[in-house]
Amino acid sequence: MIGKLEEFPEGSHRVVTVGRRRIGVFNVKGSLHALPNLCPHQTGPLCEVKKVTGTTQARAENDWAIEWAFDQEIIACPWHGIEYHVPTGRCLTFPEISIRSYEVAVDDGVVSLQF
Amino acid sequence: MSVTEPRPDDQLTVDASVHVQETPLDLLPYCDEAWRPALQAIADNAKTAGVGSELWPPGGGDEPAATSPDELRVHLTERGVDLAILCPTALQKLSMVPQAEFASALARAYNAWLVDTWLRPELGLLGCLIASPQAPADTAAEIEKYAGHPGVVGVYLPGAAVDPLWGHRKYDPILRAAEAAGLPVLLNSVEVMHPVFPFNTHGFDTVLARFTTSDPFAMMVNLIDMITTGVPARFPELRVGVLGAGVTWMPFLSLRLDKVYLEKRREVPFLAERPSHYLKGYFYGTFPLEEAGDPKDFVTLVDLFDGENATVFASGWPGAGHDDPAQIRTLPFSDEAKQKILGGNALRLFGIDADGRRTSLSQGAAAR
Repeated sequence: MIGKLEEFPEGSHRVVTVGRRRIGVFNVKGSLHALPNLCPHQTGPLCEVKKVTGTTQARAENDWAIEWAFDQEIIACPWHGIEYHVPTGRCLTFPEISIRSYEVAVDDGVVSLQF
Repeated sequence: MSVTEPRPDDQLTVDASVHVQETPLDLLPYCDEAWRPALQAIADNAKTAGVGSELWPPGGGDEPAATSPDELRVHLTERGVDLAILCPTALQKLSMVPQAEFASALARAYNAWLVDTWLRPELGLLGCLIASPQAPADTAAEIEKYAGHPGVVGVYLPGAAVDPLWGHRKYDPILRAAEAAGLPVLLNSVEVMHPVFPFNTHGFDTVLARFTTSDPFAMMVNLIDMITTGVPARFPELRVGVLGAGVTWMPFLSLRLDKVYLEKRREVPFLAERPSHYLKGYFYGTFPLEEAGDPKDFVTLVDLFDGENATVFASGWPGAGHDDPAQIRTLPFSDEAKQKILGGNALRLFGIDADGRRTSLSQGAAAR
């Protein structure tokens, strides 16, 4: 158990401690996601971001123009700016890397992480 | 370093840059009528005055190393070269011509002269069209005109004194035409400085200083521009070669671009991979071959950018300081790596088979 649901309102994020783990918990558009607070690049505190943002993308069908995408779904590690997609753990900078996600359960308004 | 290493009989050798030595008089019969007087004036003054001196310096330049394809074939055979990719000498500096229409006319004349005079696939003589960055639409038309010619295997991009750099979308018609024709583009460097290109290195007094810096700088800034403006996304099938700058700066450029990319990926979301991924997919000519005190160091530098699959032998012959294929053979590469660098990689870059036939052209396709 890491808290009550109202402690994780939509658009919020916070880092919780579970045993020896530090885990970032994000409420992205009503869905809770949990990621390790550890960037595999250089072990930076990945989830201690000031803000969950979107990012840029470019597509051939739009002539590679720069577009805003994944709004409120992206974190960029405070140390080096390595970007991750919160709902999937996918790293945007190193496409071969995805970080693990923890399963988040909500039961009777109580939020817990499954290991 | 010994250059007497015998050439194994089965060692295909492709030379990615052999220079023809075009003169104003060579190009005159092929030049658009309106620009012939200008070209004639350059020819008349070539040994004394500064007219056209960006391209043909006063003094007349070197005597040509070969005056016919057959004679060139003899020289190449002596040098152990099976297939030669012919490229210009004076027009390497075509980008310095301020008048776009004149630059375009010179490019047309050169291309026609090259095809008519020198390209003989049956003799292993293949060549690259020259692009005039001043006139992208005209260059695209030239590429389309010669797209089916069996001797045309690439498009030469003058890499010095171009402003904007080659990644700018104004050049997209050139890259699009090359990609559609199945032809690689070859960024070529030459010892040119320009008030804004690459930086304040035009202040150098010596050729030593200019040659050391301008060639790799020119290639680096153009490559950086092409990668960071999304050329790999816009033209995923385009093959790109880089000539005249050596290769040892590649580990630096790869590492540096990747490092900055970590924080700046949002600027370049059209890149699905790190910049070095795209750099490693391009090809790099060996000329001028850097001579490390310990030859193993050169091999290490090539390995650092996975250069075994990206490095192509290029001699720069008959220019000053040209290299010899035997120098590659004496380096402590594996036999497989030597084969790739001396021939295999060039076949992929230029889209040709070991007999110099363009692989993208259907059997029996007629030259246009």
